[in-house]
Amino acid sequence: MTEATAWRWLPRAIVLGLFAFVIFGPLANLVLWSLAEAWYFPNKLPSQWGFRFWEVVFRPTGRAMESLTVSIWIALLTVVLCLAISIPAGLALARGKLPWRALVMLAFLLPQAFPSLPVYINIARIFYEFGLNGTVLGVVLVHTLHGLVFGVWITTAAFASVDRELEQAARNLGASALRTFFTVTLPLAAPGIVASAIFVFLESLDEFTGSYFVGAPEIQTLPLNMFLASMGGNYQISSITALILLVPSIGFMLIVERFLKADVLAKVGT
Amino acid sequence: MQRRTLLTGLLAAGLGYGLAADAYAQARVTLNVMTAGDQNMVDYITDFLGPQFEKQNPNVKVRAVGTGPGEAGSQKIWERLDAQKKANVASWDVDVGVVHQTMAGQMVRDGVLDKYRANIQTGGLVTRDTATNALGANVDGYVMPMFHSQTAIAFNPAMVPNPPKTFDELAAWAKANPKKFGHNGIKGGMSGQAFVVGWIYANTPNASQLMQGPYDASVQNGWSPALAKLKEFNQSAVITPGNAGTLDMLNRGEIAMGPVWVDMFYTWQAEGRMSPNIRLEIMSPGMPGQPMYYIIPEKAANRDAARQFVAFATSPAIQAEGIVKRFNWYPGIDAQHVQAHLDAKVWDKLFKDVTPQDLSSKGKPLPMAQYFKEILEAYERQVAN
Amino acid sequence: MSQSRALSLALIAPALVVVLALFVYPLSYSLVSAFTDRAGEFTLDNFAKGYELYSRDVVFTVVIIAVSTLLIVAVAIAIGGYLTLGENRWAVMALAWLYRWPLFVPFIVAAQCMRTFLAKNGLMNNIFVSLGLLDVASTQSFLDWRGIIVTFVWKQAPFVTLMVAGAMASLDRSTIDAARNLGASRQRILFEIVVPQVRPTLVVGLILSFVTMMSVLSVPLMISGGTPTMITVDMAYRINAHGDYGVANALGLLCYILTGAAAWAYLRQSVRERSGA
Repeated sequence: MTEATAWRWLPRAIVLGLFAFVIFGPLANLVLWSLAEAWYFPNKLPSQWGFRFWEVVFRPTGRAMESLTVSIWIALLTVVLCLAISIPAGLALARGKLPWRALVMLAFLLPQAFPSLPVYINIARIFYEFGLNGTVLGVVLVHTLHGLVFGVWITTAAFASVDRELEQAARNLGASALRTFFTVTLPLAAPGIVASAIFVFLESLDEFTGSYFVGAPEIQTLPLNMFLASMGGNYQISSITALILLVPSIGFMLIVERFLKADVLAKVGT
Repeated sequence: MQRRTLLTGLLAAGLGYGLAADAYAQARVTLNVMTAGDQNMVDYITDFLGPQFEKQNPNVKVRAVGTGPGEAGSQKIWERLDAQKKANVASWDVDVGVVHQTMAGQMVRDGVLDKYRANIQTGGLVTRDTATNALGANVDGYVMPMFHSQTAIAFNPAMVPNPPKTFDELAAWAKANPKKFGHNGIKGGMSGQAFVVGWIYANTPNASQLMQGPYDASVQNGWSPALAKLKEFNQSAVITPGNAGTLDMLNRGEIAMGPVWVDMFYTWQAEGRMSPNIRLEIMSPGMPGQPMYYIIPEKAANRDAARQFVAFATSPAIQAEGIVKRFNWYPGIDAQHVQAHLDAKVWDKLFKDVTPQDLSSKGKPLPMAQYFKEILEAYERQVAN
Repeated sequence: MSQSRALSLALIAPALVVVLALFVYPLSYSLVSAFTDRAGEFTLDNFAKGYELYSRDVVFTVVIIAVSTLLIVAVAIAIGGYLTLGENRWAVMALAWLYRWPLFVPFIVAAQCMRTFLAKNGLMNNIFVSLGLLDVASTQSFLDWRGIIVTFVWKQAPFVTLMVAGAMASLDRSTIDAARNLGASRQRILFEIVVPQVRPTLVVGLILSFVTMMSVLSVPLMISGGTPTMITVDMAYRINAHGDYGVANALGLLCYILTGAAAWAYLRQSVRERSGA
């Protein structure tokens, strides 16, 4: 490396290094605590390392894997349900003629805005009347409600940004409206839809208040365990649970993005 | 119930996923135990109490659900029962609940609890006032104490070799050592609230009336000097984020002293988050404590199994082995029944820092519910603002 | 692909049903409780009490979230801009790989990480002290309003960045390349060509962040114990310590109005743009 390139690299490397510190510094705590069997003042790092708490998390009675499976399953169903209803809604909001459009947009935003506890209590009461408490469906519905914020708002933005001239061109070439939607509009809006899918998935994997009121005792999700551990200051257990939850989160994003790239590229080629 | 079974069946078939219920198909009864409090409360039921009980009752499967630390956790159990009551559900999905004392009175008032104590054989093993009186509310018959907890001051002897023995000494110490005492105010959990209550007990003339009644709306007018003093005290204290926040700052040596729940403190030590050198003491004239109660909802789906479970959980052998030996909690039933099941070493460990004499002379109940709320609100208006 | 009104309504109906049945209907109970006293009579006392005890906290909440939102814009534009216009492939790849991590960390865990990272004797200060950048006596804790803002920005900036970077990536490159060929600096291209085109996405991301931060309880609760605090903490406290759903719901309604106002400004404008287009 010549001196000139070194000089060009140095500021870049410093900035990236600082950025990495900002991102990974707090996360380092997760890793450290997950392996700390003893960590207290004046030790700056754990004085005793080990996997004791991993054994606790994965002990048979802890049913961590079972909760994880249920959590992932619920998150996937939430994504499917949420996209199934928010893609048409987004299309209508971006393209259609709707009365009170702004008000409708606002309605989808608000479930995220209200600190949700009082609402969940009321939802639980209604669900008891319909026997939905303690079912996967009940939890999926509650998560979908929150996912809709991302689903509807982001897909609306995605459809709105699709160039209408491209659609018009397809129609002029004789494609039906439905065919145009599936071959032109949807692929062009795909990045936004994928982003919303990721957010809906993450939102579902993070949620615990609704899961408790609607799902427990039959449905026990991993985030609920994590909430208990974290609020109680049980750093080891909550760190380990958070690390476990990283796996499906990142995995989902990678799969979805890979699928997206191949798909979009294929569409561009034809 | 019919509709629910149908829905569950549909879901399991339609989604191709066997619901958790299937895992328990072989056990005839699933006993749902919901507990407020920290993770270790859930662990206690999942890992110790549940398996022991299942051994004796092979047709029962115990399922523990945690609802969150502190009063919020108890509140969530009440909200759940209330929702089912308002929805006219015939049998409720909580068989046994573990709640804080502050919530028990409300539950009795709302009529959501089963009056079961006379119907279980351990019902006579508890004679303490807390078995019948929860912050001025009569809960006689509706509750069995699971364990008693106490707030105390945790201190680091390396930084404070001679900790203050009274609230007045503490105030002087904090002035001399600014930002070395931390408490979590009133919005972050009960250890801070207990500290504020202890302060009021120490600095107002009629503390016993706050605990024993009668209620008199004019009492709160006399709190202003004590609260003004507390406001000044807070200037040299740190307000920590929550019960766990106080322990967390003690863990990192940022504060030298702070009010903690004894049971939480021991858990933190056992799990390596607190130096074994940190000690506890109760300041004079006293600091509040409260029991956790076992409750059985009025329409619990498995009432008989629930009663059996509570009887088992409050039997002397289980209280000795589980509550005292494994978790270092003060027993819920009267101590003499439990002590007989333990050797002296284990028993003494429980009282290493806080002696039984300390507990009986300085362990105070929380004030009556109405006074308690007024103290919190007076703090909000006069100290926090 | 313009649609008729009936088709639009049919398309949006399922989503609307979910929101109405699962949110607006249950919410109505909460709204009623905000306007009634414990005896069930109509009253405005809950709002009066909320104002008396928590008006400072409302202001605090708005300021914290506004500052966080501004910082998130800055971070999202900076990262998104570099990802789009950066010339060094390795640096772009490194940045793209780095920035997303906080997305996968739930708020409550982010709060826990920050609590042990930003404290006086936390990991950050310990690292600085060990490196000799700070001495032990001059360390300070960031666990107050600053900690809340840091946590919000750390957690939400990647969210907005992901949306904005996606929008920037799908821009037509020809204008950018043309400007570059004319010798425009990267900053000028970013602010005069790229940002205006992705503005709708940016604003949507910001509104969603704003709304999310408004409803988070764990961050203020676990980071800062002092006063003033955020509205969510007050709501939880009213419920848990006083069983007072009336004041809690009144405060919740206030959050709504604040959020609604922020979103409304944007929606009005986008309606105008649509009718103009």
